[in-house]
Amino acid sequence: MKTLLCLVPLYLLPLLVKSDVVLTILIFTFVLSILAVGFNIVFGGAGQLTMFHAAAFGIGSYVTFLSMLRFGISFWLGFLVAVAIVILISIVIGWICFKFRLKEFYFAVVTLAFAELCRLVALNWTSVTNGTLGMLVLEKPTVWLPGSGVVKIEQTGPWYFLTLVSLTGVLIFAVLLMRSWIGRNFSAIRLNEDLAQTLGIDTFRYKLLAFTISNVIAALAGALYGFYTGYIEPAYLAVTQSLDAIAMVLLGGVSTILGPVVGALVLTSLPHLIELPAEMRVAVYGMILILVILLMPRGIVGLFAGLLKGRVNAA
Amino acid sequence: MLLKVENLTKRFGGLVAVSDISFAIEKGEIIGIFGPNGSGKTTLLSLLAGLLPPTAGRVFWKGRDIAGERPNVIASLGVIKTFQNPQLFSELSVFEHVMIASFLAFTRMKDHSRLRSFLSPAKGETTLRLRAEKALTLCRLQDTATKPAAELSYGEEKMLGVAMAMMCEPELLLLDEPASGLGNDEIQNLENVLRDLRAHGTTLCIIDHKVAFLAKFADQAIALQQGCKIAAGHPYDVLADPGVVKAYLGRSHHA
Amino acid sequence: MLQVIVGQILNGIILGSLYGIIALGVTMTFGITGIVNFALGQFMMIGAYATWYFTDLAMLPFPVAVVLAVVFAAAAGLIADQALFRFTRNNLVNGLLVSIGLISVMESGALLLFTTTPKNMDVVISGSWSLGAITLPRMKVVAFLLLVAVIGLTWLGLSRAWLGRATRAYAQNPEAAMLMGVPTKLLQTGVVVYSCALAGFGGALYASLFSLEPSLGGLFILKGVEAAILAGVGNLLGALVGGAILGVTESVGSLYLPSAFRDAYGLVFLVAILLFRPAGLFGSQK
Repeated sequence: MKTLLCLVPLYLLPLLVKSDVVLTILIFTFVLSILAVGFNIVFGGAGQLTMFHAAAFGIGSYVTFLSMLRFGISFWLGFLVAVAIVILISIVIGWICFKFRLKEFYFAVVTLAFAELCRLVALNWTSVTNGTLGMLVLEKPTVWLPGSGVVKIEQTGPWYFLTLVSLTGVLIFAVLLMRSWIGRNFSAIRLNEDLAQTLGIDTFRYKLLAFTISNVIAALAGALYGFYTGYIEPAYLAVTQSLDAIAMVLLGGVSTILGPVVGALVLTSLPHLIELPAEMRVAVYGMILILVILLMPRGIVGLFAGLLKGRVNAA
Repeated sequence: MLLKVENLTKRFGGLVAVSDISFAIEKGEIIGIFGPNGSGKTTLLSLLAGLLPPTAGRVFWKGRDIAGERPNVIASLGVIKTFQNPQLFSELSVFEHVMIASFLAFTRMKDHSRLRSFLSPAKGETTLRLRAEKALTLCRLQDTATKPAAELSYGEEKMLGVAMAMMCEPELLLLDEPASGLGNDEIQNLENVLRDLRAHGTTLCIIDHKVAFLAKFADQAIALQQGCKIAAGHPYDVLADPGVVKAYLGRSHHA
Repeated sequence: MLQVIVGQILNGIILGSLYGIIALGVTMTFGITGIVNFALGQFMMIGAYATWYFTDLAMLPFPVAVVLAVVFAAAAGLIADQALFRFTRNNLVNGLLVSIGLISVMESGALLLFTTTPKNMDVVISGSWSLGAITLPRMKVVAFLLLVAVIGLTWLGLSRAWLGRATRAYAQNPEAAMLMGVPTKLLQTGVVVYSCALAGFGGALYASLFSLEPSLGGLFILKGVEAAILAGVGNLLGALVGGAILGVTESVGSLYLPSAFRDAYGLVFLVAILLFRPAGLFGSQK
């Protein structure tokens, strides 16, 4: 938990840095970190490679917004609806996959298939989702603050703090989770599923739990992302979005708590640091991914942790 | 009678790995099951632990039929199996490994609420950590507690597997070839640990093909060949059984 | 109505042969090097664009262009293997991620060189054959036959030629094969290069039938992986059948159900198969 103290300077940053660009980059970093942290719980924690998190991300956006639109409720209530739906979908998909005891690779493929199915639904159910045109989000989340009452989150400043607080909350949850018996069971499952079973762990239940938690967190990231950018489209559910999150986690360090955040920071700020035509950016991104895999398999945080001879995992 | 196995059979397609095996284990005894490679020993143990569903037969644990139950259910009833080739996390320490095995111990702790454990695991942790230390001491690994698992010798790795199993406070411990790959010193260490385990109150069921090792301290022995039980009884009687000798034709007893 | 269905089935089979050749590459790579090369789609794209370039811009005869394109794709495969895949043998996750990195690099390269404007190759063989009310463009049939021939030859090579048998032996038991003197490193590189060549060949034929965009790689690798899994990863001839089944499912599905969900039918079918036959239709449990 002490490692989370690293976040404190971020709370003070807006006092020093007024540049909108920097703050915007950080907002995107925070939101995508949430997605990455969620993925890391099921992948770095329980050892299950899933390709569904982008779908959960997109579902989070769509359902939150549509609930607000159709039912006239607030952002957070809309998000609760999204959570309920994501939990339901996760249980169905997870039940199908784990009941049939799909091995790791096939689990990845089946979740990919389901994610693609969700994306196709978003793409083609034009009456509801407006299809490939996407939807403009004009509504904003509202937060109750002591003193100011109900505040609408519109400008960069409030968005910065909303996303930072959300990230902090998710990280605290992640730390508590991985330190509890639940996290320990995840590690046992990751280590050796048969062994975990013989130690009394109901691997089916815990894998399902990891999968569901990861997707709910992804939905939060999606909701925040959609409302911040003001635009929701089917591409949010695409494989590339899942792959981005995976890259962030690997770059930052799998099985570490802050790794995904570091990875998200690097990959989000990279396009702004290196001025390149759009196509080249993607190529550089790809090359970085390759270099990380081949040369730095433990990611940035893992590298530092190794250097400091400490262990930054929470197993 | 702790465990009663009745006509247990396992078929893989056309291959019969375990054929109509029956035996019983009393509380506190050490039973050794041996046979050459391919005799069905490991399959038998996997069946008992729930890792494989049986084709036919019943397994009674304290009177309850557990054949075909899921492994985690069987484990929670007190039957724990070790693995022949322990798979370990090279980065985690020995102690951390044993803590990973703490789930069953955790569920048996009466004085905690799950929510409180989630928010502040520290309190329950102490109890579990003491348990882990005890398990390590029982397996004579207490000096290696902080070592990363990658630095262990093969014998120590196998002991770690046993320690993780002991963390679950088993009533019946199923040991899958604990002596395989061990040198003479390590086998001696293993024997001492197994005697300590028995003194601790754990019933042991050991499979191995190192016959002499088993014969020394098992109370009961069962010989398997090609999935069938060919002899049972006191170890030295079983070893003298002509059918057993034939099965081991050409093999000399390890001194 | 029957004619329409049969027509769709035939179309599906032809399309499926394209999926099949990618699936073959996927399956071979997985069996020998232990990873799924997601970048195979990019090598198909290389083959496609190279063929278009050599035929339309360099004005070479089609067969020559195809050969050159295959060589190109194979060479690129060799570079990729030596620089990257060599370090990720048997590591599915790392192999996956390296492929993704490679995809990013290659797709951007294509974007830079060719832009998103679709390229259409001049027609190679015009006209069509008719069977009752069913019309099939000649080029499609020719492409189909060529693909089947190549896949068949590959299968033949793997079952008869020494190198082929060594490959299969290695796939079944790497240690034993090594002990018997099979040159494993060479074999692994060879398989990677060969599967890239196969993908390049598929791309070359694709170029003669459809319009080219840099994103075609992504689409086909997904289908290729689906087909490989459908058939059972490791089953070579099954790759062709898997591709055909996938193609047919998509085509026929589009007849009765909204065609927008075309890609979905194959997916649903795949998931269903995986649940009930985890090793694929023809696979054996590894």
